[in-house]
Amino acid sequence: MRKLIIYLFSILFLSVSLKAYSFSFSFFQNMTDNIFQNTYSGRDQLSHMGFYIDKDFSKISIFTEGSYSYLFENPSLSYYIQEVGLDYLHPVSDKAAFYFSLLGQGAFYRSDYKDFNSFSLNFLAVFKTYLSQTSILKSNYSLDYKNFGYSLFDFVSHGLSVSFDKYFQTRTTMKSEISWGLKRFLHPYSSQEVILVEDSGGHQSGRRSYLFVPRTQFEGQSIQIFSFSGLIAQGFGSNVGFNISGMKQWYLSGENPFTSVEEFYMVENPSYDRFAWAGYQLGAQITLLIPWNIELKVGYTMADKEFPGIESMNLEEETLGVTREDRRRTFETRLEKNFPRFSFFLSYAYVDNNSNDPFFDWHGNFFSAGIEWNMLFGGKK
Amino acid sequence: MKKGLSLFIMVYFLGLWSFSSGQEPQKPLHFYNVDTEKKIKGTIQEIIMEPRYKDSSPFLIIRLEEKKTHQKFIVEISPVRFFTHDFHKGEELEVVGSLYLKEGSQNIIARQIRFRGEIFILRDKRGFPAWRGSGMKHKKRRKGKRF
Repeated sequence: MRKLIIYLFSILFLSVSLKAYSFSFSFFQNMTDNIFQNTYSGRDQLSHMGFYIDKDFSKISIFTEGSYSYLFENPSLSYYIQEVGLDYLHPVSDKAAFYFSLLGQGAFYRSDYKDFNSFSLNFLAVFKTYLSQTSILKSNYSLDYKNFGYSLFDFVSHGLSVSFDKYFQTRTTMKSEISWGLKRFLHPYSSQEVILVEDSGGHQSGRRSYLFVPRTQFEGQSIQIFSFSGLIAQGFGSNVGFNISGMKQWYLSGENPFTSVEEFYMVENPSYDRFAWAGYQLGAQITLLIPWNIELKVGYTMADKEFPGIESMNLEEETLGVTREDRRRTFETRLEKNFPRFSFFLSYAYVDNNSNDPFFDWHGNFFSAGIEWNMLFGGKK
Repeated sequence: MKKGLSLFIMVYFLGLWSFSSGQEPQKPLHFYNVDTEKKIKGTIQEIIMEPRYKDSSPFLIIRLEEKKTHQKFIVEISPVRFFTHDFHKGEELEVVGSLYLKEGSQNIIARQIRFRGEIFILRDKRGFPAWRGSGMKHKKRRKGKRF
């Protein structure tokens, strides 16, 4: 408690002494009955505390953000993330601009996850232009470098995307995007290396007995993906919005170099990211303004994903000789109320994941509630 | 790992240096005046990005035609990088903001926008801008994904 108070006062002191323009503090509480998102349904609660400070000067904005997440049932997975970055916007005309950002991030986990402590650097360049008053063209380049405690996972990735949207007089907006990505692992695998999970309750703790086993037959060190996505949004007055979206992703080369791919609720997992799968996603969402200006969002998503290079296993961890495929259905709802200095939200999601790997055949309920408090500095411009 | 740590520290100190470097106070052209607050519902006629304040990032400006009266307004939304939604000509929105006259045209400094089932709070009730720490989610406007 004492450490926490010192920490909070240090952040406040930092923001005031550096003459920051804004300071915000957030607290989120999350509950789930399936933290590891697998068939053993491990319950947990996650408290998340964060702060954010930024300052604009001229066309550049500098910001830093820190957050600590504590898991009540699995405290050895708790983590702290600190980010610092800057962004810059350069207009080239009254209809077009470049946006650049540079972001550094440090992620620090407790004992169970310390191999995944990481430092990362992200550079992003975006060009946006109005082709006409009803259509927008955007192109985007991103570079990510990530350096882990266990160097096996270190990678550099590049992403390129181009999107185009068009608004029609029927109050319909149509958007399409193509995207390409390349992820290159920085270290070749010369031998079988296994990261074992410490025994904290065996299988019933809800995790496989290992996290990752790099495959010796993995020759290529990179994965290349390509995707196409589309969205149709329809407005009904200023109080109702509706959209449907779809995305299809292909592998152009390479495959997952690990024998298992896992994702945990709210905890980043180095084996699972946008490069881990090929397949499609379809979704629909309605946004409504209900009494007291509360925003209500209700959405449904279905996704069919295949994980190239990942073989399904039975519960005894013997291979089944087929590539892992997941079919997921997600129902989500969110209530949000924004005040000038406070924001509250409440959300619920139900996920049903059918997989040909019985370990990943699961369903789960996810609840979140949160508050964000903003403090003001600077003038009334 | 050490290489990553050095890069992180470098970016961190670059950030701190920039935070602490002294800045001249900017001279605003107009203040938000709560006494001239007005609500209008209209259709977007034009979207432009233009500098509004000395040494600051360009602002997103919308030319709006009021539905009932067909009067035209120039609406100052926020710095471009702060507002993450893409507007198009022909879309309808409701704006609450402070009205002032300049060179014969009606200008509005927007405080709140209602659009397709969402409310965007751009300033508090006294006119303090949200991009200086109020209202909208910071994570949404960082990392450029929605720029």
